[in-house]
Amino acid sequence: MALYNFKKIMVVPTAKDFIDLTLSKTQRKTPTVIHKHYQIHRIRHFYMRKVKFTQQNYHDRLSQILTDFPKLDDIHPFYADLMNVLYDKDHYKLALGQINIAKNLIDNVAKDYVRLMKYGDSLYRCKQLKRAALGRMCTILKRQKQSLEYLEQVRQHLSRLPTIDPNTRTLLLCGYPNVGKSSFINKVTRADVEVQPYAFTTKSLFVGHMDYKYLRWQVVDTPGILDHPLEERNTIEMQAITALAHLRAAVLYVMDVSEQCGHTLAQQLELFNNIRPLFANKPLIVMANKCDVKKISELSEENQKIFADISAEGVTVIETSSLTEEGVMQVKTEACDRLLAHRVDAKMKSKKVHDVLNRLHLAVPAKRDQKERPPFIPEGALLRRKAMETDAPKRKLERDLEVEMGDDYTLDLQKYWDLMNPEEKQDKIPEIWEGHNIADYIDPDIMKRLEDLEQEEELREKAGEYDSEEESEDEEMKEIRQLASQIREKRKLKILASKEKDTQGPRMPRTAKKVDRVTLEKEMSDLGLDMTDKNDSHYAQRSRSLVRKRKREVSAPPLSRTRSQSASRPPRDQSGVRDAKMLKKVKTMMKSSQKDMNRQGRKGESDRHVFDLKPKHLLAGKRKSGTTSRR
Amino acid sequence: MRIEKCYFCSAPVYPGHGMMFVRNDCKMFRFCRSKCHRNFKRKRNPRKTRWTKAFRKSAGKELTVDNSLEFEKRRNIPVKYNRELWSKTVEAMKKVEAIKNKRQARFIFNRLKKGKELEKAADISEVKKNIHLIKAPHAGQAKQLEDKMVQKLAEDVEMDE
Repeated sequence: MALYNFKKIMVVPTAKDFIDLTLSKTQRKTPTVIHKHYQIHRIRHFYMRKVKFTQQNYHDRLSQILTDFPKLDDIHPFYADLMNVLYDKDHYKLALGQINIAKNLIDNVAKDYVRLMKYGDSLYRCKQLKRAALGRMCTILKRQKQSLEYLEQVRQHLSRLPTIDPNTRTLLLCGYPNVGKSSFINKVTRADVEVQPYAFTTKSLFVGHMDYKYLRWQVVDTPGILDHPLEERNTIEMQAITALAHLRAAVLYVMDVSEQCGHTLAQQLELFNNIRPLFANKPLIVMANKCDVKKISELSEENQKIFADISAEGVTVIETSSLTEEGVMQVKTEACDRLLAHRVDAKMKSKKVHDVLNRLHLAVPAKRDQKERPPFIPEGALLRRKAMETDAPKRKLERDLEVEMGDDYTLDLQKYWDLMNPEEKQDKIPEIWEGHNIADYIDPDIMKRLEDLEQEEELREKAGEYDSEEESEDEEMKEIRQLASQIREKRKLKILASKEKDTQGPRMPRTAKKVDRVTLEKEMSDLGLDMTDKNDSHYAQRSRSLVRKRKREVSAPPLSRTRSQSASRPPRDQSGVRDAKMLKKVKTMMKSSQKDMNRQGRKGESDRHVFDLKPKHLLAGKRKSGTTSRR
Repeated sequence: MRIEKCYFCSAPVYPGHGMMFVRNDCKMFRFCRSKCHRNFKRKRNPRKTRWTKAFRKSAGKELTVDNSLEFEKRRNIPVKYNRELWSKTVEAMKKVEAIKNKRQARFIFNRLKKGKELEKAADISEVKKNIHLIKAPHAGQAKQLEDKMVQKLAEDVEMDE
């Protein structure tokens, strides 16, 4: 069956919106740039694409509308009738038909213009064709304005219809306006229908759900029905009639005993008889409502007779009052039971009995002997049941304790502990000692193990394991150690001293260094040699070079001949020179030979060094007045 | 509340310290500090990282098999609280701790004994080889000779007399 949930229908846009939407979509989603120097097939393709795109969009959207809206032939006759009542079947079908026609027209337009586009030979022509095509499509749609508006309204109303399942268990309430149908449904279900003193408060069908015998039941509230012939009924009443006609439900005809609704009992009876045909094949119950105001027994003779007649015909009459809830439950149970029985009967008679037979009939194995075999209920269950029934004094909860003690309350779960000595319950249990977890040591036989360990320890001690060995070091060893440490120290110092040497610089031979007498004597005495009284030793004789120059005494002859010989030789610039004239010539010759060199600034013949390879004054600047023969 | 062991260095992790890493196979690794955590992330083997207890135990530098070490063992079945048992356990713990420390110390001491002998031998050889750095070979010889001569003279004098 089609869905009874009409909320999924797409929004139907107005004609104007629809056109705007599609055209803007075409503009956005197709390429927009075209020039007249492009190749003609490209231009044609460009415009054809636009036409086809627009057509595609319209087509899609309209198809969607057509499929979304329910086809009156496909849905349950109850809904078909309801929609007919509300929206007029003809109008509905017409609107959809118009939309369909529009769709086809648009398709045709697009086809034609695409065909024409093939013969367009310039950008201008193609563009005009496209304009024409789009224009025609939009005009077609503009003409559908009325249909689209109507369909949008239908959609909105449809989505708000209550979802009534025509196949499930339903109770239907009907009667004159203001008799108390809505109050009843409010009482029995969770529905919240408006209840007001004026007539036709309920203008459409309302659904409520309730539970009975672990099943879900629908209760349908209808608008009040007045007593006219069928043709003269208005839309609101027709809804109620439709519901009555198509739903297989238990009917609850509500009558107002106190006549507060504004209609006499006779009129209500009239209506009842008129609608009688609609109640065929449905379990019927008459509710005499508002009995808190007036009971049937308080009525006049004629009116009581009415009720007597009805019950004589086999229809159950139950006095109810929605206000005091008297009889409401009774009505409910009665109606539900009868409807269930009715449905079961119907199913039994139908072809599909065997599918549901397991739900209708409980098969019990046949007794093979006369022995009684009652079901076994364990004692504990019986006790529990008994305990549940009697009001046993509940044990004191922590919450009660908390409330009692107020601020002083502390949650102390230790009091529920199950220990061997209950007086230990409030102990603070130690967990850690010196970085060890006490829980790791807990062992029932820890004392025994400890004893073993201690014994072992004693044995070890006796065996002498823990004796601290005396440092059996005699004097000799001590001395050796001391000497060894001194040696090591000395070595380290020597290594350090050698590291401070300059290994990269010039190396002087050892003999070039002068040896200090003081350092020599100190070193040797450190090594243990006796260095006192060494003035006569070879190293203590002062060398000649250290002798300080004394004042020369006249009588003392020179001890060496070194200076005297050199005194007699002539100076080099005078040797071989015969006289002063030659000396003068020699001197000029010397000076002139040096002149050239001096002028060139050279040290000698081999000096070819050029101080300035690129002198700026020669290489920079423009070639101004002056010679340009050279640089 | 428990004091856990660091997975990497086996140090005690007190509550509120360190980090825990849980692997996809539900194995938990606790670390006492980020040093251990970072080493773990670098996939280093604690048995090869020299400063950890795992290395020391596996390399035989510390006492591994001993009765006193069997007392501290993680037990999975809790025992109901019993004041007497707990107090006895605490006392036993103290004694066991003392014994354990003694034994561990003795183990290390024995291990280091060999070193002391080697030291001795090294000293002796050092002195033998390099005594010349602090004492000249014939350091006291002059004095000795003198003494001898003095002694000899004295004897001669005596003999003469």
